[in-house]
Amino acid sequence: MKVRAGMMRWWCKMSDPILEFNNVDIEYQTRGDNAVHAVNDATFTIDEHDYFGLVGESGCGKSTIADAIVGGLDDNGEISSGTIRYKGTEIQNYSESQFNKEIRWKEISVIPQSSMNSLDPVMKLSQQAVEIAKYHTDLSKAEAIDRLRELFDVVGLSESRIHDYPHQFSGGMQQRAIIAFSLFLQPSLIIADEPTTALDVIMQDQILDHINSLKEEWEISMLMITHDISVVFENCDTMAVMHGGQIAEAGNVVDLFDRPRHPYAILLQNAFPDVRYPDRELAVIEGHPPQLREKPDFCTFADRCPWSIAECYEGAPDPQSVEGDEDHQAWCIRANEMDELAADHLTKPAEGRSILEDIQ
Amino acid sequence: MSRLRYFAHRTAITVALIFLVASSLFVFFRLMPGDYSSLLVQQGMNADQIARLEAKWGLNAPLHEQYVRYITNLLTADAGQSFRHNAPVWDLVRPRIINSAILVFPAITATYIIGSLVGTVIGRYRGGLFEKSSIITVSVFHSIPDFFLGILLIAAFSQTINIFPTSGMLSTETAVMIGGEPFWHRFFLKEFWMHYALPFATITLYFMQYPALIMRNSVVEVSNQEFLHYHRLKGLPRPALLRKLMRHASLPVVTLYPISLASSISGLVLIEIVFNWPGIGRLLVDSVLARDFPVIQFVFLVAAVWVILGNFLVDLLYGVIDPRVSVGNDNNE
Amino acid sequence: MSSDVPVLELRGLEKYFNTSSGLLDTVKNRITRKSPTFVQAVDGVNMQLWENQVQGVIGESGCGKTTLLRTLIGLYKPTNGQLLFHGDPVSEFTKEEWKEFRRHVQIVFQDPFNSLDPKFSVRRTVAEPLEIHGIAYDIGQIKEMLESVGLTPAEKYLGRFPNQLSGGEKQRVAIARGLITKPDVILADEPASMLDVSTQAEILNLLNKLTDEFGVSMVYISHDLSTVSYICDKINVMYLGRVVEEAPTKQLLTEPKHPYTQALIQSIPIPDPHYERERAAVGGEPGDPINMPAGCRFKNRCPERMDVCDQTPMDVALSDDTNRTVACHLYYDHSTEKTEQAQ
Repeated sequence: MKVRAGMMRWWCKMSDPILEFNNVDIEYQTRGDNAVHAVNDATFTIDEHDYFGLVGESGCGKSTIADAIVGGLDDNGEISSGTIRYKGTEIQNYSESQFNKEIRWKEISVIPQSSMNSLDPVMKLSQQAVEIAKYHTDLSKAEAIDRLRELFDVVGLSESRIHDYPHQFSGGMQQRAIIAFSLFLQPSLIIADEPTTALDVIMQDQILDHINSLKEEWEISMLMITHDISVVFENCDTMAVMHGGQIAEAGNVVDLFDRPRHPYAILLQNAFPDVRYPDRELAVIEGHPPQLREKPDFCTFADRCPWSIAECYEGAPDPQSVEGDEDHQAWCIRANEMDELAADHLTKPAEGRSILEDIQ
Repeated sequence: MSRLRYFAHRTAITVALIFLVASSLFVFFRLMPGDYSSLLVQQGMNADQIARLEAKWGLNAPLHEQYVRYITNLLTADAGQSFRHNAPVWDLVRPRIINSAILVFPAITATYIIGSLVGTVIGRYRGGLFEKSSIITVSVFHSIPDFFLGILLIAAFSQTINIFPTSGMLSTETAVMIGGEPFWHRFFLKEFWMHYALPFATITLYFMQYPALIMRNSVVEVSNQEFLHYHRLKGLPRPALLRKLMRHASLPVVTLYPISLASSISGLVLIEIVFNWPGIGRLLVDSVLARDFPVIQFVFLVAAVWVILGNFLVDLLYGVIDPRVSVGNDNNE
Repeated sequence: MSSDVPVLELRGLEKYFNTSSGLLDTVKNRITRKSPTFVQAVDGVNMQLWENQVQGVIGESGCGKTTLLRTLIGLYKPTNGQLLFHGDPVSEFTKEEWKEFRRHVQIVFQDPFNSLDPKFSVRRTVAEPLEIHGIAYDIGQIKEMLESVGLTPAEKYLGRFPNQLSGGEKQRVAIARGLITKPDVILADEPASMLDVSTQAEILNLLNKLTDEFGVSMVYISHDLSTVSYICDKINVMYLGRVVEEAPTKQLLTEPKHPYTQALIQSIPIPDPHYERERAAVGGEPGDPINMPAGCRFKNRCPERMDVCDQTPMDVALSDDTNRTVACHLYYDHSTEKTEQAQ
């Protein structure tokens, strides 16, 4: 099966957004009146049946965004401004019980970051499924178990293993079980937070293959959060790159690959090893994202950016449409100059020959 | 390993351990300075009496025969004869075990239930005045030696405000009055429970530190576990989440419970003396003072079995609470 | 130092672990005459590391690469086989020779967050190996080393403690500590895997530069073929304790011979939305190294499985190239190899 089976989809984009972030700020209160402004002015849209990739380094705020969507922020976290709309309804002020009743699992389910630690170690997998059924449906115990059986089949696990405990499963099998749970109530949106990070490369490929096949068969939208830009390029339709609590660039994956306009998006691509070109020098991004004690009124990448100018520190950047394309936006005041400024970095190594071409 | 096999395995180990301890006791008492019969004979017996005693106890037989006899006797609950009371040791020890158990089991159990709840609350509301004051309180109670804590309680509640009697299990009059009744009769008397209150409170306050502080740490740790977050995202309501939190957090506390039960036996000696409670702790002290070796030997054995059974209980509980312990990893077929 | 002897050489190295844990199990096995079960963590590995060479060892978790590394540095005693350092078997080393060996073979760990002593300043961390080996030094030497790993200006870093350093800086300090004794060999255990992408590139480039500059050899262990390919001259592919293929990096990537290597390469995601990648045809997971099937250990997952795979494949040099070997029956001329297999 070809990896980019869903590639053509973005041409004939279905336009109803399933999730919209509008200027969302998220902050955490820490001890002694200190705040951490984890997410600032985040704006992006996920369309129905889209696979949306959110990429960034650790601590950039991407997991906070995932938590905020399903009301899973820690007690000290708060959406301090902006709106989050799910299928048109504002959900940023929902209470815990509203989330339980209207959002969680029936509408949005989650494939959490570390599958190895996410399954309750003292419950059989079947018990965990029965529990989901108990709180969200009127399925009987037997029906819930039957449902889990079907789903085990879907994700490629043996049905006979549904009464096992999580520790009897290998890492890859636990990840499959987690995917089965996420499908349990046929949600419209799945949030996958680093779904394959802990897995070996062959297993990662199998799991991603499964995740991809859901798109056609289950009509699902996906928010895939990862640090691995290659996973997004291969599996997603649209994407956003985050840095230091700000969205740097958003658009569909082909545009972001062909015409990246935010310096971070450009450098990140060049820093990423590509097995096809082992001779290419990897780009290095110097420095670190700043600690955000206050809402930043500057571009958080400015300190690390080779092309930053004084104006970069004079206000958080507004989004710029790239070449008039409303769907492709870069939060950089020099976005339209990048063509010349970063010319060296924009030549694709593809001009050199991939060494993989000989593999049959 | 199946769960059944796990339990069988644990049981076998427990039985073997008890046997080992009984054997070691036999050896230790034979290793003591002087020969064993001279330990028994200190009260100015003449040679004839000693000879008769030795014959009666089989102390002339070779060691291995004595050992076999010792073990067979133990298996038939025949622990020999108390020298001081001239009564079978078992008859002497049995009511004392019951008296001690009736004090320690409920007290430690209550300690753990209350302590876990306190610990959960401290763990949930960290950083406040409540956390600090609770930690200081339980630590202070544990820092005071247990017998001294008992004395303080007596001073406060028996001497100053005089609600509870100072010592003993029953007043002398009552003891005489119900002398003919079976021993459990006393548990229906209010007077017994009035005597019971202070030693009970001493043990509870003294041991509270373990479950409270360990539960607190455990609650903090489990709160940060991924699976709880996942449960929350799956849409479990708060009470259900709290139940899960407590079940997971209680694992280390459960481990400690039988250990506290077992170790409380050492504290028991002093508490029973302070409150003049007729349990095995006091029996041990009395017997040591009177050099009543058959009783001492048997009380040691009881104490060891007490500790071993306590640990056996941990293993069983763990097997039930955490399947990772009893149900091994058998994937990869 | 003659260069016709490899710096480090493994001959038929085996490392087994006994799975029965306690005294009771051991006694039980003795009584029932059951042979104890072994984890064959490393099984018959041959490897030659030459001067100035950077070799990679890749494989999935549990394939034995970490055990191999620990055996290489002498932390584990091999069950069978030999480890030679400049041609001398380490099994015959005296205490002094061991110390010398430890000075010349240094390790950089995977986790920079836990491999530095939090109570040691950068200066003390880097100076420690010199003190252990009783080598006289001055502060200038340490500064120079810090600058060559890119911690400039060195004065700024000398007094810092690990909690004041970022992940990348910690890993640089760890590399400086490894290089300060002028070792012949650096053993690197996925030194970039816990770092962010931007920092990962830094560390890879740095290792690349330093191995040239200092003329050290390196064994680089990783599960990630795409990073290994950036710094290694030669790659060994491990699967369940055995090296199934070894080849110069480019040849391995362009013409992987072993079906497992092919699957590994095909599974790597490519950061390019225009590229159409063919997914690997391999399913399943590596079994566990306790009760492994006889013969080729990959056979149950192998798309090319044949009857002969029940026999253990030998390492064969490919006829057209002496520089690479592969342990797979597909590349045998079975009529001539028969005798060898019989053993």
